[in-house]
Amino acid sequence: MIELRLPSRLGYERVAMDAAASLASRMGFETDRVAALKTAVSEAVTNAIEHGNQHNEAMKVVVLLTVRGDELIVSVTDQGHKAIDAAYVNRVPQISEAMKRDDKGGWGIWLIQELMDEVEFTTAPSGGNQVRMVIHLER
Amino acid sequence: MLEDELKVSTRVIGNIAVIDLVGDVTTFAEAKINAAYQEMSQNGAQQILLNFRQNDYINSAGIAILIGIVTEVTRNDQKLAFSGLSPHFQKIFRMVGLSQYAKIYQDEQEALTDLQNAATA
Repeated sequence: MIELRLPSRLGYERVAMDAAASLASRMGFETDRVAALKTAVSEAVTNAIEHGNQHNEAMKVVVLLTVRGDELIVSVTDQGHKAIDAAYVNRVPQISEAMKRDDKGGWGIWLIQELMDEVEFTTAPSGGNQVRMVIHLER
Repeated sequence: MLEDELKVSTRVIGNIAVIDLVGDVTTFAEAKINAAYQEMSQNGAQQILLNFRQNDYINSAGIAILIGIVTEVTRNDQKLAFSGLSPHFQKIFRMVGLSQYAKIYQDEQEALTDLQNAATA
């Protein structure tokens, strides 16, 4: 298991993204699957920095990368200033709706769910938000 | 330090305004992309090509910025296209629905050829 403890500052999501990509490449994932993983990890860590930890640099985002057989499990946990809005989970955003709003965001959680094989949003024992993502190696 | 800061430059080829984006398209890119679009629009651009570099990092905040450009282009009755996206981001742009509003080309040359042909047809 690889554990990363990242400060809650935008830009550090790239560290998690690159570590996950490196591990997935070594496991034999195809380029397109590695790219999907990078986007999912980046979105999960960015959510944790922006929403869970509210950009408080003293608060950490913990990323765990676990190889189990033919799958890579990525868990992203924040320190939970603000819970993930349940309305965002399982919601399918529409671009036509986004174009009518001032805030055109809200795509991150949906992208994670679309790109990963398994996704679970839970509350960590510590009280923070936890996103657990699994990607399977297809042989 | 960790950001590959976005470099935005503009040029005009025929009747096509090209906005080159080199670097990360994240929340930090908003002002630069919007400024380039506004500059080209004020100069009368009707066809705008957003030309990416293959290995760019584009996150959901960047996608939101591009939805903002699509919104403006639609409002101003302009035509928008994308080129130079990696296969992964071509897929993401289709998933999000950006391709409903802007055609996606493999590279700049393909885009310029098609847009110029369409304009003269």
